[in-house]
Amino acid sequence: MRRLFLLPLLALLLPAPAPAAHLGAAVPDTTSVAPAAATTDEPATPLGLIAQPWYRPHHVLVQAAGGQGMVAAGVGYTTLRGKLDVDLLGGYVPKKYSITPMGVFTGKATYSPFTLDLGATKWQVRPLSVGMFVSYTASKGINSSRDEKYYKGYYWWSSHTRIGGFVGGRVARVIGTNRLGQPRTVAAYYELGTNDLYLTSAMTNLGGLPLHDILTLGFGVKLDL
Amino acid sequence: MKQLFSFFHTISLFHRSLMAGAVVCLLASCDLIEFSPNETRTPEAYRNLTQKNLERLQAQPNPTGGDTVRFVFTGDSQRFYSEAEDFVKSVNQQRNIAFVVLAGDVSDFGLVRELRWVHDKLQQLRMPYLTVIGNHDLVANGRKAYQEVYGPLNYTFTYAGTKFVMVDTNGREYGFNGRIPDVGWVQRELREPAPEVKRQVVMSHVAPMSEDFDPKVVGPYVQTLGDAPRLAFELNGHNHDFSIGKPYDNEVTFINSYSFEKRQYVVLTVWGEKEFKLETVQF
Repeated sequence: MRRLFLLPLLALLLPAPAPAAHLGAAVPDTTSVAPAAATTDEPATPLGLIAQPWYRPHHVLVQAAGGQGMVAAGVGYTTLRGKLDVDLLGGYVPKKYSITPMGVFTGKATYSPFTLDLGATKWQVRPLSVGMFVSYTASKGINSSRDEKYYKGYYWWSSHTRIGGFVGGRVARVIGTNRLGQPRTVAAYYELGTNDLYLTSAMTNLGGLPLHDILTLGFGVKLDL
Repeated sequence: MKQLFSFFHTISLFHRSLMAGAVVCLLASCDLIEFSPNETRTPEAYRNLTQKNLERLQAQPNPTGGDTVRFVFTGDSQRFYSEAEDFVKSVNQQRNIAFVVLAGDVSDFGLVRELRWVHDKLQQLRMPYLTVIGNHDLVANGRKAYQEVYGPLNYTFTYAGTKFVMVDTNGREYGFNGRIPDVGWVQRELREPAPEVKRQVVMSHVAPMSEDFDPKVVGPYVQTLGDAPRLAFELNGHNHDFSIGKPYDNEVTFINSYSFEKRQYVVLTVWGEKEFKLETVQF
């Protein structure tokens, strides 16, 4: 029941497999033996959602901080010609920094519309990403803001579920090809974000709370499968 | 094409400035790295503030001198950061204030960052400030966050012949378990005052008249206050508005604080056995 918020993310994953014609759309890349005859302005991107079951993840990722756990790991999907990543993460915060250890379960979507034109190189830079996440924190010690202690509406927010947004960027390097012959990348990314409660605090105190006070930073690595 | 380039250039500049900002912040340790908003990790500068403030208070001579103690009484700073700035400016202009007491709900969501934001404002006060825990400070991991940033949930201090008993009375947050407030502890702290204690003040967030006070404990708690030999009054927050009255037969005076949002606070001057003067100040 409490994980229902993940459903919209599943819906995002469902867009039907891309037309097979896209198979050859990758830039000819030096390490690849792929039959990539077609050329395009788009630099090498993992195409995603091609000739494989929708549920098979396209990449794995590990992340630190960003409000999603001291460390977090998960799987993700890429669509819209490499521009949209949808990731699911499980994060961990030890007891030392909490009352009891916290499990942080996050679903997020990251949209990176631009790729810098670096010419013929294995490097790929997406300078700007924008994204949103929803997270649920499970921890026995957390004093829930919505349980039998209170009448309905006593507190307006949930102490477990956070919604947040971020901007970021990523640098990737092609490290070979996947079993479909598409370029396979390893990417490092960062996210500078905030969450609903911090944003509420800032918005209700314009000028009273400096912007940098509400920012959080996270960074991670994604590896194409 | 040129426009497109300039667009990319702008984004790249924006991106670079973000990165530069992030690096500067990292170097200045402005706490961007956050594992969870519910984490309780606290940098040293924000730790044990109750103890640090008490040490500062004990080292400071009483500004009014003699038997009289004069202090500012407020509460519920929760998410009123703009007001907090003006509050500090106003209090810093008052004369002979020994310290400020804040009657709980320091934070709104029980997050450690909120406690730090409030301290960023209140540390500009010329005098020490002391807090008691409120119900909002107990949400999520707030209990531990409060313990890390401020310290114990129940504590006492004596200054200028006045003993302050600061007690957690947020019964609802513990599911009305019959143990909050810890009446036994309050009793022990009030029962036999040391010779230098000329008067006693109890401060907590939720008053026993409130529906958020554990109904099982109201009777014994109110009786404990009534039995206290030198109790001047009890101070509370939670209602976000000022009030003063004697709601029980035992004639104990209860004073409730304004919240920060009301842009008013109370200055209390206490002397003699139970004599006090009360002024309200707008800011």
